[in-house]
Amino acid sequence: MEHETFLIESDSQDKLRSYQQSSIPFLSKISPGIYWSLLLLSIGLIAYYQIFAPDWNYSDVLRINSFTLLIWITVLFFSSIVSSYSKNYLRGFKFQNRFTILSFGFTLSVMLFVMANHVLLLISSWLAMGIFMAKLIGVNKTWGEAKEAEKFTLKYFLAGSFFLSVGVLILSYSTNNFSLTFLMELSEVDSSSLFFISSVLIIIAAIIQSAIFPFHKWLLSAMTSPTPASALMHAGFVNGSGILLTLFAPLLIVSNSLWILFIIGGVTAILAQFMKLIQVNVKHKLACSTIAQMGFMIMQCGLGFFNAAVAHLILHGFYKAYLFLSSGEHIAQTFPRETPRIRITFPQAIVVVVFGILGALLFSLLTGKTNLTDSSVFLTLIVAITVGQATYNIVKENSLTYLQKFAVSGGIFIAGISVYALVFNGITRLMSEMPMIQQPQILNPLEIIFGVIFLIGFFIMKLGVHTRLPWLYVRLLNLSQPYRKTIHYYKK
Amino acid sequence: MTKGTILQQIDLASAVIGKTWPLYGFVTSNPLTGYENRPFKIAIKDAGELIGGDLLPSAASLKSALELGEIDEQELERVFIENNLQLSPEESLKAIESQNKSKIKNSSHKLDSLVIKWLMAYMDEGLADWKMPNKEKGFYCAWKSLVRYDKEIKLDPSFSLPDDSCEALRQLLKYYSKEDQLRVFERHLSALPGWTGYIKYRAETNSDWQRKFSITLQDYLAVRLLIARSLNFEFLSSKETPGHENKAKNYQYLWLKAWELTWQKRFIKDIKTSLDISAKTSKAEASKNIEDAQLVFCIDTRSELIRRHIESTGHYETFGYAGFFGIAMDYQNLEDGLIKKSCPPILDSAYKVTEEPKEDHSPQVRNYLKKQEQTKFTHYFLRRMKNMLPSAFGFVEGSGVFYGLTLFFRTLIPGRLYNPEKKEKDSFESSCEPKLNSQKKELKSLDISLEEKTAIVKSAFDLMGWKTFSPLVLFVGHGSHTANNPFGSSLDCGACAASPGRHNARMLAKLANQSEVREALKNFNIQIPDSTFFLGAEHNTTTDEIVIFDSELPTSHKEKLDALKQNLIKAQVSATSERLGVSKHSISAAHVKTNDWSETRPEWGLAKNAGFVIGPRKLTQKMNLDGNCFLHSYDWEMDLEGKALEGIMQGPMVVTQWINNHYYFSTVDNETYGGGSKISHNVTGKFGVMQGNGGDLKMGLPLQSVNETDEKFYHKPLRLSVFINAPKERVTTILQQNNNLKSLLDNEWIYLFVIDPTKENKISKYKHNLEWQASETFIPTKLERV
Repeated sequence: MEHETFLIESDSQDKLRSYQQSSIPFLSKISPGIYWSLLLLSIGLIAYYQIFAPDWNYSDVLRINSFTLLIWITVLFFSSIVSSYSKNYLRGFKFQNRFTILSFGFTLSVMLFVMANHVLLLISSWLAMGIFMAKLIGVNKTWGEAKEAEKFTLKYFLAGSFFLSVGVLILSYSTNNFSLTFLMELSEVDSSSLFFISSVLIIIAAIIQSAIFPFHKWLLSAMTSPTPASALMHAGFVNGSGILLTLFAPLLIVSNSLWILFIIGGVTAILAQFMKLIQVNVKHKLACSTIAQMGFMIMQCGLGFFNAAVAHLILHGFYKAYLFLSSGEHIAQTFPRETPRIRITFPQAIVVVVFGILGALLFSLLTGKTNLTDSSVFLTLIVAITVGQATYNIVKENSLTYLQKFAVSGGIFIAGISVYALVFNGITRLMSEMPMIQQPQILNPLEIIFGVIFLIGFFIMKLGVHTRLPWLYVRLLNLSQPYRKTIHYYKK
Repeated sequence: MTKGTILQQIDLASAVIGKTWPLYGFVTSNPLTGYENRPFKIAIKDAGELIGGDLLPSAASLKSALELGEIDEQELERVFIENNLQLSPEESLKAIESQNKSKIKNSSHKLDSLVIKWLMAYMDEGLADWKMPNKEKGFYCAWKSLVRYDKEIKLDPSFSLPDDSCEALRQLLKYYSKEDQLRVFERHLSALPGWTGYIKYRAETNSDWQRKFSITLQDYLAVRLLIARSLNFEFLSSKETPGHENKAKNYQYLWLKAWELTWQKRFIKDIKTSLDISAKTSKAEASKNIEDAQLVFCIDTRSELIRRHIESTGHYETFGYAGFFGIAMDYQNLEDGLIKKSCPPILDSAYKVTEEPKEDHSPQVRNYLKKQEQTKFTHYFLRRMKNMLPSAFGFVEGSGVFYGLTLFFRTLIPGRLYNPEKKEKDSFESSCEPKLNSQKKELKSLDISLEEKTAIVKSAFDLMGWKTFSPLVLFVGHGSHTANNPFGSSLDCGACAASPGRHNARMLAKLANQSEVREALKNFNIQIPDSTFFLGAEHNTTTDEIVIFDSELPTSHKEKLDALKQNLIKAQVSATSERLGVSKHSISAAHVKTNDWSETRPEWGLAKNAGFVIGPRKLTQKMNLDGNCFLHSYDWEMDLEGKALEGIMQGPMVVTQWINNHYYFSTVDNETYGGGSKISHNVTGKFGVMQGNGGDLKMGLPLQSVNETDEKFYHKPLRLSVFINAPKERVTTILQQNNNLKSLLDNEWIYLFVIDPTKENKISKYKHNLEWQASETFIPTKLERV
C-alpha cells in the first residue's frame, strides 16, 4: 500500500503539534499529590489519636484533637478533589498558578483556624480565609466584573472578621484569657451581659460567612470565580460558621443566645428555599440552595445540636461540590410543561404516613437523638416529613409496580437514614472532647411557634400558594439579584 | 406611524444582530449574516462600531503566525507593496499593537442589567420551578403586569402603559424621524446582541417555548425603552468614531490576507504534488478489484483523519457527503419524544423521521420505553426532593455520602467509568427502524412515494459521483460524546443542525436497501448489485470509534463486516494516537477525554478549518490535511449539466462558509462574538450560558474550542478557501446563475479556486466579478518550505 508510506505533510504541522497540549504550571501539577498525601496523613493521625489519645497541645497556641483532624480531613478532601479537577479544567487559564496558590492559602488557613487555640491566631486565620476567598473570586485579574465582585465580597469578609475580633476580644479582655480552651470553660454562673454581646458579635461573624439573610448578597455575586473555586466556596468556606459556632458552643449556650441562631437560621432556610424556586441559572440556583442549607445548619446549632450541624456541613459539602463541578450538565431541550399536581388516594396516604413514622423511628433508634420534650423533636420531624415526601412521590409513579414502589421507597429511606446515622454517630464520637456539642434545649413557645411557621412554609410550597402571588415573585427576584456592578459593567 | 411600519423598521434594524442558537442545538452560523451583502472589510467595520469588539486577528496572534512561518514574510511584503505601503512588518505590527483595546465602563450598564434581569427570568426554559407569573401573556404583557412591584424601576406615572408593545413603541418614538427610529432600534438591539439574537431565533423558529410563551423583538424594545425612559436614559447618543485607528485596521487586514495567501499557496503546492503522484499511480490502481467496503463520511473536517486511517488499513474507499445524507428531515427521538431538526438550518424539513418497532421487537421497545419513563421519574423525584421544604434538608443528609463517593470516582477514574458498549446496548437502534413521514399536513397519508424515496437515494450517488458498489456500503454519520459540556452539541454534526447524524445515516441505508428503490434506480442507470448491503453507522468524533447499526445484516455479509470492524479498531488506535499525540493506549486516552468532567477541551471540533475541497478523493488522498479541510466527493465527468455541482455550491459550500465565519469571529474576539471561557460559565434557562453572575447571553464557541490557552490561538482565523475540481466555465456559469454565491465571493467572505480537469488540472483563483487569475501568476516559482 503505497499511500501509507507517502504522505505529504503540510508545512507548519510539526511545529504546531508540540503545542497541542499546553503546559500546566508546576505548582498546579504537583498540588493534587500534596493534598491527597496530606489527606491520607490526616486519616492516619485520626486513627492514631483515637487509639493513643495523645495530648497535642502546644503552649496554648495550637492544639490538635480529633475535631481538628475531622475538619482537616474534610477540607483536605475537598481541596484534593478541587485541585485534581482544576489541574485539567483550568489548563491554559492565564491565572492557573495564582489559583493554585490561593487555594493552597485558603486550605492552610482553614487548617490553621481549627487548630488555633490562641484567639489572635483564631482571628487572623479567619481573616486570611476571607482574603483568600475574595482573591479567588477575582482570580481573573483581567476581568473587570470579577474585580468588582472581589471588592464587594471582601467588604463582607472584612466586616465579618471585625465582628469576630471585637466579639472574641471582649471576652478575652474581660476574663484576661487568650486561650480558647480556657475561655470555653464556662459555667452558667459566669453569665453576664458581656457574654451576650460577645455571642451576638460572633454570631454576626458566622452568619456573614455563611451568607445568611440579610448577608446573603455576597454569595450571589461570587460566580466570577472559576467553577472549582465555587465548589471550594460552597463546600468549604461557607461552612466556616458551623465550625466557629461549634468552637464557641459553650459561650452561646451559657449566654442564652441559641434562640437567635434558631430564628435567623430558620427564616433563612425558608426564604432561600423559596428564592431557589425562581432561579433561572444554575449557579444562582445552587447558591440559593446553599444559603437555605446553611440556614438549616445554623438552625441545628440553634437547637443545641452542634454535632448535627457539623454532620450537615460535611454532607452538604459533598452534595454541593458535586453539583458545582457538574454544573455544565444542565443544557437540555425540553417541552414547556406544567408540573403535574399529585393527588393520592386514601390507602396511599396511609402508606405515606406509616413510612414517615417508620423513618422517624429508625432515625431515633439509630441516632438516639429523639426526645419528645426537647428540641431534638424538630430534627426527627424533618426526617419523618422527608421520608413521607419521598414515599408520596413514589407511590404515585405509574411506571413502577407495587413491589417496586415498596422496595424503592423502603430501600431509599433505610439506606439514607442508616448512612446518615453512621456519619452522625461517627462525628459525635470524634467530637466527644468538645464541650457542649449536643445540648438539646427544652422546648419553649418561641420554638414551637417557629416550628409551626416552618410547617406553614411547607404547606404553602406543597400547595403552590406562592405561585399565585406575583408580588412575592418580584420581591424574591430582586432579593436574589447579584451586586449590580458585577453584571455587564464593562464593555469593549 | 402605523404598527406595520414599526414592525418593518424593526425587521430592517434586526439585520445588525445575528441569531443566537440554543446550546442544545448549536449552529455554527456567521454572526455577521446580516452584513454579508457588504464587503468583508466594510462589514467588520460596521459591526465593530455598533456591537463592538475586535474583528481582526490580534497583534499577538499575527506576530506568532509570522514567527511560526504561517505568514510568509515575503508574502506580507508583497501584499504591502501591492497596496502602496512602504512599511516593514515590524512597523506595521507596532501600529496594530498601539491600538487602544482596553475596556471601558458600559454607559448603559444600569439599563442593561435591569433588562437582563427580566429577559433572563422570562426566557427560562424550565430551569426554574416557579416560572414568571403571567408568562403565557407574552413578554411585554407579563412584564407590564409585574413591573409595578419592581422597586428598582420607577416608571413615569404620567405615561400609562399601552396593552401592546407596538403601541408603546409608537408613543415612545412619535417625535423621532424615521431614520432616527431605525437608529434607535439598531442601537438597542445591538446593546445585548446575545439575548436579542436568541429572541430572533425563537421568533423565527417558533419553538415549543415560543408558541407557549411568546417574545418578540418589539416586546424587547418596548420594555427596554420604557426602562430607559424611567432612568432618563437618552434613546440615542452621538457616537464618536475614532478615526486614527483605521490605518492600523487596514494593516491588520493586510496581515490577514498575507496569512491566507500563504496558506493557499502551500495548499496549492501540496495538491499539485498529490495530483502528480496520483497521475503516476492511477493506472496501476485502476486495475484493482472492487473495494471490500465503501464508507461515506460527513464533509466535516474531522472526517479526513479517520478516512485516511481507514483507507490505510485495507482495501477501502471513502467518500465525503453532507452529514444529513441528503434527507431534509426532523427527527423524533424515542428517548424523550422531542422533535429536533436534523438537517442544515438553511433547508426546510420536508420529512419527519420516527422510530417504529421492528417486527417481533415490540416487547423490547416497550421495555425501553418503560426504562425511559423510570429515568424520567428519577430526575423528577430528585428535583422534587431537592426543592421542597423541608425535604431539601433531609435529602442532603441522607444522600450526601453517595454524592461524596460519586465525586471521588468521577474525579479520579473518569476513563474507567466510560462504557460505550453498554450505552449502545441500552439504546433503541437494534429494536427499532426509522420511518420516513411527510411533513405536509395537507396530504392524507404521511407515507412517502417511491419516486421521492428513489430521488433521495439517487441524489446521494449523483452528488458523490459514485461508480461501482462494494458488498458493504456504510453511511457514517457523526456525533460527539462529552461530559459536563454545555457546548456538547457544537461538536455534533453541523450539517444536522447540531444533532448526531446517526439517524439520517440509518434512514438512508434503509431506503437504499429496499428492493423497490433499487429497481427504480435502474431507470436512472444506477445498478446496485444484489450482493451490496447498506448500513448506517456513527463516527464518535471524540474517541474515533465507529458504531455500526448492523442488526439487519444478512448472515452472508457477517464475515466481511467482522473483518471491517477489526480494521476500524486499528484505524481508531492510529487515528486517536495521531490526534491526541500519544503513542500508547490512545483509545484509553480518548476515553478519558470523552468522560472526564473536568475536560474543557474534549476534542477540537472543526477548529483549524480553512479549506473545502469539492472533487474526487484521489485529489487529496496522498495528503495529510491535518483536519484543515472539508471534503465533498464529486466527479465532474458524471455531472454533465452541472446540477450536482450547483447543489453542492448552494448547500454544503454555504454551510461551510457559516462554520468558517463562525470559527473566525469566535477566534478573533472570543468575548464579544464567542462564548468566552468555559471555566466561569453559568448555564441559564437550560439553553445558554452567561459569564459569572450574569450579563449578555453568549453567542459563539467558547474560548476552549478555538484557543489552546487564554492567549494562544489553536484555530487559525482564515477565511475559507474553496477548491472545486471542475471545468472553469461550468463554475462560472453556476456563479452567474446564483447571485448570492457570487456576492459571497465578490465581498470576500470566502475564496474560490478551480482545479480545471479539462486543462490538465490547472488551478485558477476567482478574482472579482467572474474574473479568474491563473495560479502561475500568484504562486512564486520558488516557494521555500519553512
